[in-house]
Amino acid sequence: MWGWWRFGKWTVLIMFLHIIAILIFTKGFLLTRTELPHSSHCSDLSQSPCHSSPSSSSCWTKPAVDRLIIIVLDALRFDFVAPSSFFEEKQPWMDKLKVLQRMASENPSSAKIFKAIADPPTTSLQRLKGLTTGALPTFIDVGNSFGAPAIVEDNFINQLIQNGKRVVMMGDDTWTQLFPNHFNKSYPYPSFNVKDLNTVDNGCIEHLLPSLYQQDWDVLIAHFLGVDHAGHIHGVDSTPMIEKLEQYNAVLEKVIKELQNQSGPGKLHENSLLLVMGDHGQTLNGDHGGGSPEEVETSIFAMSFKDLPSLPSEFDSSSCEPSKNICISSIPQLDFAVTVSSLLGVPFPFGSIGRVNPELYALAVCTWNLDDDKTWNNQDQTKLEEWLQNYANVLCINSWQVKRYIDVYSASSVIGFSSEDLFRISDLYSKADENWSYTKNLSSYKNGSSNTSLPVLKRQIVAYSNFLSYVAELARSKWTEFNLKMMGTGIGIMLLSLYCHTLAIKKLNKSYGVSLLSSRDSGISFGLMLTFFMVLIRAGSLLSNSYILKEGKAANFLLATTGIMTLRYSFMKNKMLIEVSAAIFLLLTFIFRIAIEVGLYKQAATSQFMSSSSSWMLGISISQSLWTYMAEIMPILALIVLGYFLYKSISSCCWGIPKYVIMGTILCYFLVALHWISESNILDLAHFLKGFGKNCIPRTVYAITLVQLSLLAIVPMFCKEETSNCRGSLFVKMMSILSACSSTIIILQGKQGALVALGSLLAGYCMMRLQGIEQHTVSGTAGISILDPLPVLQWSLLAVCLLFASGHWCAFDGLRYGAAFVGFDEFILIPQAILLTIDTFGFSHILSVFGLPLFVAFPSSFNQTEHKSLFPIKLFWIFMVYGLITAITAAATILCVTIQRRHLMVWGLFAPKFVFDVVGLILTDLLIFVASIYYFNGLEDRIGNAELRRLW
Amino acid sequence: MKEELEKNPQSTISSSQVFFIHVCCALALAAGFWVAHHVYSLNLVFDPTKTLCLIWAIEFPVVILLFSCCRQKPEKCSYFTAIARGLLGLPVGALLNALGALALGAPVGLQYLEKTVNWSLLMSSFTFVPTACVYGSSWTDWHRIFACTKPNGPLEFMLCLPAHGAVIGAWFGAWPMPLDWERPWQDWPICVSYGAMAGYVVGMVGSFGLALKMHAGRKQLKAE
Repeated sequence: MWGWWRFGKWTVLIMFLHIIAILIFTKGFLLTRTELPHSSHCSDLSQSPCHSSPSSSSCWTKPAVDRLIIIVLDALRFDFVAPSSFFEEKQPWMDKLKVLQRMASENPSSAKIFKAIADPPTTSLQRLKGLTTGALPTFIDVGNSFGAPAIVEDNFINQLIQNGKRVVMMGDDTWTQLFPNHFNKSYPYPSFNVKDLNTVDNGCIEHLLPSLYQQDWDVLIAHFLGVDHAGHIHGVDSTPMIEKLEQYNAVLEKVIKELQNQSGPGKLHENSLLLVMGDHGQTLNGDHGGGSPEEVETSIFAMSFKDLPSLPSEFDSSSCEPSKNICISSIPQLDFAVTVSSLLGVPFPFGSIGRVNPELYALAVCTWNLDDDKTWNNQDQTKLEEWLQNYANVLCINSWQVKRYIDVYSASSVIGFSSEDLFRISDLYSKADENWSYTKNLSSYKNGSSNTSLPVLKRQIVAYSNFLSYVAELARSKWTEFNLKMMGTGIGIMLLSLYCHTLAIKKLNKSYGVSLLSSRDSGISFGLMLTFFMVLIRAGSLLSNSYILKEGKAANFLLATTGIMTLRYSFMKNKMLIEVSAAIFLLLTFIFRIAIEVGLYKQAATSQFMSSSSSWMLGISISQSLWTYMAEIMPILALIVLGYFLYKSISSCCWGIPKYVIMGTILCYFLVALHWISESNILDLAHFLKGFGKNCIPRTVYAITLVQLSLLAIVPMFCKEETSNCRGSLFVKMMSILSACSSTIIILQGKQGALVALGSLLAGYCMMRLQGIEQHTVSGTAGISILDPLPVLQWSLLAVCLLFASGHWCAFDGLRYGAAFVGFDEFILIPQAILLTIDTFGFSHILSVFGLPLFVAFPSSFNQTEHKSLFPIKLFWIFMVYGLITAITAAATILCVTIQRRHLMVWGLFAPKFVFDVVGLILTDLLIFVASIYYFNGLEDRIGNAELRRLW
Repeated sequence: MKEELEKNPQSTISSSQVFFIHVCCALALAAGFWVAHHVYSLNLVFDPTKTLCLIWAIEFPVVILLFSCCRQKPEKCSYFTAIARGLLGLPVGALLNALGALALGAPVGLQYLEKTVNWSLLMSSFTFVPTACVYGSSWTDWHRIFACTKPNGPLEFMLCLPAHGAVIGAWFGAWPMPLDWERPWQDWPICVSYGAMAGYVVGMVGSFGLALKMHAGRKQLKAE
């Protein structure tokens, strides 16, 4: 062990540095928020200092509207709605929704256009979440359920259901994903096909107008997607976009007309409110996701169908266009959930931190206790006072609810608010509250003293507003802003770790007795240069979102380039055998490329960022025949045969445990094949296997793997085998651990797993041959083999290709959640997280790192003359170089993420890529640590500690 | 001009000949573009298949005719044999180039077949045909020039540098392809062809520069 420490301390140091750097960087970059499972209830209000509403039927606030129609137009830019006179230049896409502008200018007191400011990330899913919960969804909401995006936090849809309101939904099926069981009726339409501009919209239109006459709902949600899709495909300045807007104008005109017809006393929509709103904006290219003004500025148009008084100017934030008689106010989207809840009279969502917006609140009829004779002009002052009294009470409830959320959040979240902030919040709240008790008392015996009570009420409202806006500001800084200092520190530590890494490699070189740069053969320094060049290109390519999207193809391109280089090199050396293996290697890269393209194609079907590329794969429709089953089962049979040969060769020469391990693996492969056969139902095996239960086979495989691993880990500690040939024993060790791991990975990966395993095995073999002969030819003159980083680079590129070829990609929808349920039916967090990790990183990290000794362990190696003591150094050198290449890539990702933190796709692409790379890096470090202990244990006995000590 | 070239058929050729051949090749390339643009009003971006076809159809006869004049061992191998070697080299080189491109990630599929074929024929006339004309199937010479990259003499540099330039140019030309700029020239094989042609021209300039330098060196040697 002491000998291991001589080398191993570097791995530990580097791992430590990586973990620290990543933790610090992540804290500044990935803003996290804990989702709380609590929800608000009607009865909670008794704890608050506020008036509860007098009538027994209402809950927190007095319901102000009976029915609510929410029409969501996805990616509605602010300038689609606002009149063009508000902007410097009139663009072709402006003034298309004329009906909204006309309504707002004809009835300024009952219809209003708002500029709604969304909070980034401005992707539809996060925005819908933000709109309904009234919170600030971050990139990672801790507590996010596994796979399904259903909202677990309290939200206003949930409140509607709990309070007996009936909700009808039509349009974008994201709603039904977010709220799987909430709607009385829903007409969802698939939203992922970006090229389809009409399906969702036509479905909406078909159901929207008839629904307006029906009585079986209280809240109607219609979500149109056409503008979003038109933006993604054609951009904002395009004919399809303008056609879409004109279509919407016609639809809205009809809707408003119907509603107006039905708005007479006693009619269906006497007391309805219409909201036409966007969930986020879009840039001129149709992108959204980031925080630029174009993306966050969207619009809300609100309209009720009665004449209403207007608010005093203190609460009117609107800027007006005198020529057209249109005023536009501004509202943060954060306020939407709580305002709508207060209008409908349901409890405010528990996690909402918004404020009830006075202007939107004032648009609802019942907030003004209007008499039917509409004589409010005469008694303006008292009406206003009454309204303010009511509004102050609503704000009181609102503030109390926000304060309660902040208290509960900071008590239960690991990363809460700082104590200073909490103190300031309590201070503001208690101040406002102090006033409230005075105001309340004043209002209870006010009669007639309106001159005094009006300013008091206004002061009170201002006090609450101050408190609420302070909380919102604080939450924004906590949940939507980056901490650049921490990010910088993280990057600094990461660079330091890279420096340490190179230092360690230099030291290894020195003790190996060779300096890479003073090598005589130009081919070697060429290999080093090529490696540098490739790593740099790969690192640089991460700066662009397109390359992250097609990372698999780019890695494959580089891999094929190195393959061509080796082919050329082998021609140079005139070795027939390697030419063949280089050619096979190139062929394999071609096959991997096809696999990656299939993966990309799958990704295009599900990912929102890939506009589906027309592919030749479409032509091949896989018919469910015996042949396809054969094609699926063949690779595993090939693996079984290979395992058998391995067993034969090992049992003839070596010590005991590997024999049993490989036997176990062969058994596992048989079980895997049986599992797949039983799943595919070709033979009537399923019936036969029912007795065991379908989870039995995977669990047996996991158990066998565990036993194999523990055998491999524990037994060498007790009995020392005596073999003189350390290459041979290393090879046996490597094969046994690879075979032990492979069975679990293959069963998790599904049917493609065996194929990928076979491919990577073949690729590894080719690389070994290529590397072996290169060594031979070079060392023929020098006497010692020279350290060439090119094969290690190839190996790491191959690992990247394997990740993509096995159907993964660097996004959360790229995780194969199905793998977590192989062998398990119900959800148990820890084992399934482990299974998912093994599935995701199985080929690309676990097998790759354990397979690294391939380059030194080839048993029929060409130079046995090499000094034995150099052997572990070389092994270590390979581990270190592999680690360095991974670390450089991860560092590049971190840098690129920092540079692109204001990029449109930062949450869609860069952040998931960052998470993947960072997890991969730490996993690689850990695996290198484990693998070096595993391989080193035993080596040092053979070589002798004394010799090792001499070397260092 | 042909006779003039045939008069000194040994492996060393003068820098003016190098210049002449390179200028002719470059002019043929330019002529290909000119004909495509003005006669057929084609464009590499809008119709890559036909344009590439036109360019290689103009380029490769020029290449074959010129390089066959520089063939090795002219006493054993007639001018027409050299031309035949060049003609044979064209599809073989195209096949190798196409395989290389496919390994590196050129799209597979019937709709790309024509483009890939035309592109690889063009690449072949940049890389493979000249050497096929000059050296035929002499393995040692091929090995020296392309595997070891140890050309000696201006003639071999004339074969080696433009060919490597074209391949490396094509490699770099592939990099803009995945970017999401959505320009029509990002499609296969347009930017790769541009890269290859640029690399080819740079290689020719380099080869001419080296020929001048070597010539000056030889003169200096003679003077001493």
